[in-house]
Amino acid sequence: MGGEAVSGGIGRSVRRPDGPDKASGVFRYAGDLRVPGMLHARTLRSPHPRARLGRIDAAAARRLPGVAAVVTAADVPGVATYGLIVADQPVFAAAEVRYAGEPVAAVAAVDVATARRALAAIEVDYEPLPPSTDPERVLAADAESLHPAGNLFREIDIRHGEPGVDGPVVVEDRYVVGMQDQAFLAPEAALVSPAADGGVDLLVATQWLHSDREQLAACLGIPENLVRLTLAGVGGAFGGREDVTLQIHGALLARATGAPVRIAYDRVESFLGHPHRHPARMWFRHTATADGELVSVQANVVLDGGAYASSSPAVLANAVTHAAGPYRVPHTRLRGVAVRTNNPPCGAMRGFGVPQVTIGHEAQMDRLADALGMDPVELRIRNAVRPGDVLPTGQVLGAPLPARELIQLVAARPLPPPPTADVTGLALPGGLPAAAEPGRVRRGVGYALAYKNLLFSEGMDDSSAARVRLDLTDDGTPRVRVHSACAEVGQGFVTIAGQIARTELGVEQVVLAPADTAVGSAGSTSASRQTWMSGGAVRGACVAVADRLLARVARAADLPAEVVEAPRRTLRIAAGHIVGVEAGLRIGIADALAEGPIEADYTFHHRRTTALDAEGQGDPHVAFAGAAHRAVVDVDIDLGLVRVVSMALAQDCGTVLNPLSLRGQVEGGTAQGLGLALMEELITVDGVVVNPTFHDYLLPTIADVPDLDFVAVTEPQPDAPYGVKGVGEAPTCTATPAIVAAIRAAVGRDLRRVPVRPQDLVDLPTRPDLPTGSDLPTGSDVPAGVDVPTRAGVDPAGGASTA
Amino acid sequence: MFRRGSDRAGAVHGPAHTVLAAVLPPAAVPVGVVPVTAGGTTSAMFRPRTVGEAVEMLAAAHDSGAAVALLGGGTDLVPALRSGERAAEVVVALRRVLELRVRGAGADSLTIGAGVTYTDLAGWSLSPGLARAARVVGSVQIRNTGTVGGALGSARPAGDLLTFLTAADAEVLTTSPRGSDRLPLPRFLAEGLAPDALVTAVRLARPGGPQVYLKIGERQAAYPAVVSCAVLVDRVRHRLTCAVGGVGLLPARMEAAERYARDEVDWSTGTVSSAAARRFGDLVVEAATRITPALPAGPRGSAEYRWHAAGVLAGRAFARCLHVTAPPASGPVGDFAAGGQP
Ligand SMILES: Cc1cc2nc3c(=O)[nH]c(=O)nc-3n(C[C@H](O)[C@H](O)[C@H](O)COP(=O)(O)OP(=O)(O)OC[C@H]3O[C@@H](n4cnc5c(N)ncnc54)[C@H](O)[C@@H]3O)c2cc1C
Repeated sequence: MGGEAVSGGIGRSVRRPDGPDKASGVFRYAGDLRVPGMLHARTLRSPHPRARLGRIDAAAARRLPGVAAVVTAADVPGVATYGLIVADQPVFAAAEVRYAGEPVAAVAAVDVATARRALAAIEVDYEPLPPSTDPERVLAADAESLHPAGNLFREIDIRHGEPGVDGPVVVEDRYVVGMQDQAFLAPEAALVSPAADGGVDLLVATQWLHSDREQLAACLGIPENLVRLTLAGVGGAFGGREDVTLQIHGALLARATGAPVRIAYDRVESFLGHPHRHPARMWFRHTATADGELVSVQANVVLDGGAYASSSPAVLANAVTHAAGPYRVPHTRLRGVAVRTNNPPCGAMRGFGVPQVTIGHEAQMDRLADALGMDPVELRIRNAVRPGDVLPTGQVLGAPLPARELIQLVAARPLPPPPTADVTGLALPGGLPAAAEPGRVRRGVGYALAYKNLLFSEGMDDSSAARVRLDLTDDGTPRVRVHSACAEVGQGFVTIAGQIARTELGVEQVVLAPADTAVGSAGSTSASRQTWMSGGAVRGACVAVADRLLARVARAADLPAEVVEAPRRTLRIAAGHIVGVEAGLRIGIADALAEGPIEADYTFHHRRTTALDAEGQGDPHVAFAGAAHRAVVDVDIDLGLVRVVSMALAQDCGTVLNPLSLRGQVEGGTAQGLGLALMEELITVDGVVVNPTFHDYLLPTIADVPDLDFVAVTEPQPDAPYGVKGVGEAPTCTATPAIVAAIRAAVGRDLRRVPVRPQDLVDLPTRPDLPTGSDLPTGSDVPAGVDVPTRAGVDPAGGASTA
Repeated sequence: MFRRGSDRAGAVHGPAHTVLAAVLPPAAVPVGVVPVTAGGTTSAMFRPRTVGEAVEMLAAAHDSGAAVALLGGGTDLVPALRSGERAAEVVVALRRVLELRVRGAGADSLTIGAGVTYTDLAGWSLSPGLARAARVVGSVQIRNTGTVGGALGSARPAGDLLTFLTAADAEVLTTSPRGSDRLPLPRFLAEGLAPDALVTAVRLARPGGPQVYLKIGERQAAYPAVVSCAVLVDRVRHRLTCAVGGVGLLPARMEAAERYARDEVDWSTGTVSSAAARRFGDLVVEAATRITPALPAGPRGSAEYRWHAAGVLAGRAFARCLHVTAPPASGPVGDFAAGGQP
């Protein structure tokens, strides 16, 4: 629709309505909510990664003055377990605890201090059991089952092309990725109020209101319509709020006490309370022709899902289907398992399985380039997928996916000036405090190319509903009210929804109703899907409203019946008016609304996909977005300290609805990928997280992240509203491997472990980068007759590249 | 969380205060017994204005059997109270004790009050090395708040100030009901502070030559040290001292390397050969591997890496304090900077 002259439509860098409040510190996050008379809830967690749970005695805690209620597994009236995909996670541990940090009880009291004292007064008999923490051991025939559902969340085996076909150039190795945390800044919090009708009302920071509602209702044993959720201010999510954490506990306490309950995590609990990015152990074998055409890729991926399933099955599908990367490969065998251990549960995080395999396939591409004596950019250009290519799943790649162009574009960006001898301070690896020797700093440049699926896959119909109402304000100006359950977690739906409504309806004033469960599900704010899906729903509802408005005007103007039925051929909306040039008609929207408001609902569906069959074949992904990063790093070669000097990104963005928001997404995605490359890792020792604070879990600061040189490729996605693509995840996938590649280039050693630590970059007596005694396939597992080079991980000199 | 600033006198909270109110000098009470809640415990907070008052409060609290904590900037203490790692029924806050916030210079020594912050030190021209160590602490918020007394009280294995003071042969000045005391830093760290005593100041010699402080961590700024190193040269007394943090439970002196430097440096010119610089780093690595008890394996930096890095940092700091003769082709420090291989 022509919304010309209405400011703030699509394509504009409309500012976030909550921006100033967030920047000035007055924005109310979920944790800031207070109501008079509310109780404060805290959670008791198991210190043991695995233990038989005996008696839980809360009598002393209940007797403490000021304690209103203590709830445990015995107090869950409905289903005892919950989960995003399979309900295998107990609301509270009942017979056995399976990870350190698992909730055992929760307390509501008059204040936090009393609640804490009550936690300390709860006596729990734990009989510690030996934890299983090695993901490569839990599937062994003699391994103990850690859960009635067994230790395997999912196994996928993709076979494409012919088995055993190899090129003459072979590169094979193993790679390890550590556990990244979403590390959002506002810890989990909710305000839960019991309602007179026996239900509960929750104000909560989440990514998916309706999924929370479904799980809450099941565990509370009440109908879904009695569970009402409203989104509270979300301070970051990145996948970490897709799972239920404190919602059910808070609701149980609110119902037990009959009072509003504020339940919240502190920083340490936040690190323990939500699922993390899956640590991965991966084996890859790439073969190519002598002139650099990929012939085959084999991969075997083990994802450590931790104690409970969360979204492990879906993460695994992403990891395995993307394991060969955005390259044309005639013959692939891509396998993977997601397994249960007694490590912390892992689930959704930005990239959702793709960052891990991208680290692997991009390291392989660089080593293949070395083995071929070829430029790494050239190798990628030569093998990059094109629309129409058949992917390892048999899916035919749809347009657009400008993989070649992306890597070419990023390689053509100007390089930063070379390091100078007199450089000091922050510009050297380690910054001011390290004061590196410029003479001992080496520069490296690295590239990575990836693609990431958009929206939910494997046959899921993750539709999004929206309701749009056009009415008049008290002073008679037209106003659009958009109602969607889309969780704003920072991605910018709050600007996009308004931009779409302005564009479609030619009305400047748009208000966004609070996201809640009074409207249909918008699906999860994840999988790069909300601009496409909920944007599509808002647009659909706006179009329906506009059609009714135009029909009303046509009717009122006594235009012929065929115009009333299809008014868009004759009438259009332009800046607050309905205009019909041929009909000589021009009427203000406000006047047309005098008769009453117009409201419409719309549910947006993406195209149907299919599940994978036994051979891993199907049409699993709706669409993809590509990205290519170039990283330039400086490394202090004596100390192994790394500074990222520059990052360039070319990304396949589809139509850009809000350039400022886009920039925010790609900069954030780049920073999060940088964090995984260099510092972000939750470390567990025998299943126990040893660094659950921002003192020990380091996030990149402004001093670590260089300005991003960003080029958007804006070829429209045909089946998406306005031609958009999701943009938040793709850059996270490529930033990490590009930096790792740059470090490799600087120090001249193959790197198999991410995050890359200083100790991995200097010569030490022992090389600690890979776990030893692994079960992942090595040379013995590849098809017979293939000459396999040295076993990586055993050969400390590294490398398994042969030509 | 701390609720501060209420000057309402005598809000009675908990037994500790009731006991204390009877013992304390009247002047001390009105300036604020503020109930504070940090973590699971409710405490009374006292705000003395003089060292004398502080000691009386400490002693009274101690006699009453209450768990007491001194509060400097609170950058370590407050998180510890919140997490329940520490508990205190009485908190004695030192911010208002002006005499602790003084730093001064004598003919050959510098005295720094326990209440002096990193920011206060960061621009101090009388001790450029110390200023440098202070500048690389934490973030600006931590530098504005964290104090010298807190650094000594926390005694972190790689505390920046602690590493520097260890190399500087600093002395710690304390006051308790038994009077004032002055003891070498290692003894202070080994014996700990009596429960009714507080650190009032540290004293160190005025710089007698170049001083270099280096630390490394895993990002570009605002990081806790994985390994740190201070090298101080005294051109007058022909001495070089070196301390390494992040390897043992406390920063450690590298005595063999110091002795080696004393003999190898040409003190008339302040020069040393590049081979000697390399050897210095190697000696530091050797000493580092022998430090006991070693720091338990933590979230980052293997022990082997820490030893290695200690050697590299020491070699670099050493070279920056002195003139290195006969530079190798790869640059003045290029050759030995990689030294320190065990
Ligand atoms: C985000 C962050 C970053 C940090 N970065 C660094 C860093 O880069 N380098 C570094 O070295 N440290 C760092 N620290 C640690 C800390 O800030 C410092 O060690 C600081 O000096 C502590 O001082 P304070 O005044 O805040 O101590 P407080 O927290 O007030 O007290 C610390 C301890 O000392 C005791 N104490 C306080 N004053 C006295 C006194 N006069 N006599 C006896 N005992 C006393 C207290 O009882 C307590 O046990 C960091 C801390 C944080 C939170």
